[in-house]
Amino acid sequence: MGSENLNDRRELTVQGGIRKSRLQRNQYTISLMNEGLRAGLLTSQEMMRIQNAFMQILQELIKKYTQGESTSVTTETAESILTSIMYAADAYLFSLEEPEKAITYLKTIDVRQIYERGVEKVSQCFEETKQLFKEITANKLEVPVDAYNMTIDESLPVFLRKYGIIFDAHNTMASIDYPLALDDMRLQGVFYMKQYLERLKLETKFCALFDQQELLDLLVHYGRECRFNYRIELFNIYELMLNNAIFSILSGGDADEIRISEGQYKRLEQQFMSLTEPQIRSVISDAMGRLQQELPINSQLKEYMDGYKEDLAKRVANAAKHNNLRTVIITEREGGAKSIVILFNEKDRMSDVQLRRLLHEILACERKEDKVKLILSSFHSFHDYLDMLESDCLYGDEYDALFHAFGDMELAILAKIVFYEELRSETLDLPSILLLENEYPMEWQMRFVQCLQGMSRERLQAFEKYMDEMDYEQMKFY
Amino acid sequence: MYLSRIFNSLNVSMQEQYMTELLELNEKTKEYGLVLSLKDVQLMMAARSQALYSYGRVELSIEVTKELIEVFSTSSFIQQENYVDTLNELHEIFYYLKNETEDRINDIKLLHRMKEVFEDDCEGSLDLLKSRLEEYAEEFRRQLLKKESLLEGEDEYWDLKI
Repeated sequence: MGSENLNDRRELTVQGGIRKSRLQRNQYTISLMNEGLRAGLLTSQEMMRIQNAFMQILQELIKKYTQGESTSVTTETAESILTSIMYAADAYLFSLEEPEKAITYLKTIDVRQIYERGVEKVSQCFEETKQLFKEITANKLEVPVDAYNMTIDESLPVFLRKYGIIFDAHNTMASIDYPLALDDMRLQGVFYMKQYLERLKLETKFCALFDQQELLDLLVHYGRECRFNYRIELFNIYELMLNNAIFSILSGGDADEIRISEGQYKRLEQQFMSLTEPQIRSVISDAMGRLQQELPINSQLKEYMDGYKEDLAKRVANAAKHNNLRTVIITEREGGAKSIVILFNEKDRMSDVQLRRLLHEILACERKEDKVKLILSSFHSFHDYLDMLESDCLYGDEYDALFHAFGDMELAILAKIVFYEELRSETLDLPSILLLENEYPMEWQMRFVQCLQGMSRERLQAFEKYMDEMDYEQMKFY
Repeated sequence: MYLSRIFNSLNVSMQEQYMTELLELNEKTKEYGLVLSLKDVQLMMAARSQALYSYGRVELSIEVTKELIEVFSTSSFIQQENYVDTLNELHEIFYYLKNETEDRINDIKLLHRMKEVFEDDCEGSLDLLKSRLEEYAEEFRRQLLKKESLLEGEDEYWDLKI
């Protein structure tokens, strides 16, 4: 009796229709049903009927999943299949655009039909995604950025191969490392992937408007500025280029230029330092407008670029405030001081068989002096040295003996690798890095650090000099 | 875990049908001197639900229970006085084993494997059966891992034939 009264009161107060803000794209059907119930557009009986219909579909799919070999599955499997079903239902109901219309469909159309139309939508989206992927590979940028290349060459094909429309529709199942300038992580499954590829396509289109050598140079300057190996870092190429194109316009350059000279940088610095944040926003907005006018940019790309404006304005304002505009405006800077060019040639590597035989020989040596002698006389390639160190063929003080036998150049190269993270900070020199007592993942790295900690200051200084003169551009780590 | 409960409640409408089917099996099992009363069936179903819930599994039908009764009722190690308790334990062991063998062995094959070990190796001891099957599951997973590492790089599919 009491609960009936409560229900009555609730029915009276829930007027006003669906509140769109309460609907979630990711769980559209469920949030729609909850909202429909709250707004009095769905009764609890209808809700039950719809839920039961989804559960019936689930039962059938579980049978398909186990191919009749099992009548039970783990709860995780069942939940995953149910999520896949709801993903399809979401796809269809969301495509109806109007939530009220979607609720009417839920009330009047067989849930199975909603599901099946959803599966069609998912499948259609998957086909479009495949098509987009073809376009992306055909227009791929020639850049030595691993995350970009691996995402296109390896991760996306894995997704296209493994994506399951029926049992795994909600699953994104690919490690997409390359970051977009603007990403919407609220989406899942193939809808996410399609959006990712659409945006990647726009970004690539933009990057292709510029001289590709200038792009490669920009990457090098960016790596220098950040003191890292840009090949293995995660960053967005389009963002870098768009920033510099805007800065080019703002410093008197052309719209299709991304080179910023030291002189242009000085001008930009002066300009940004004297502006307030709203002024910076307006200056950037104007430059973006000019860029969009002067370059052949379609409406989709224009819209995408506009979405980034605010972000850039904030970053510039912030950098101006903290006096580090160089991190945003990537300026042409000569390697100048870096006089050492080390050639690491992949082709110098020995074959796997050769390497394995040598490692066996090293293991078989009884005296550490013999091991060191053998290593110094047989290893010539930097990659082979790394393979050898990572193979754990040395024990205890044998590491020490080897590192002491190395010259300054070898020590400098190893230190550049081991202290990669630490060296990104301009303020840390080698002795202070050694004081940090950081942990390192590999045994040889720990031994290396211990060995350096025991070296005299003079010895450290002697090879630190070489470290300063080396760029990561010459090194490839694997 | 809520799905396990939802499924059970969905099957409420089927409960009566299930009960009848299970009671009908008495016709077959009584030749081995084993009979279930309505109360026994109700208790067994409750224990089955509990086992499913605790092992986090969702069951779609009553086929496993029926097969379990048919297969095990022929055993000379099961008497009327321990019949229901034994069936409850066997349910528990079966669903445990489904999880431990990562759903890679089909229901019927698994049930027959259980029966074989129960008869030959354990001579009707449920405790021994449990520990033998634990070893069996461990070995099965080891083999699975080996097979998967050999197939590494290739697309993996549901493979119940292992």
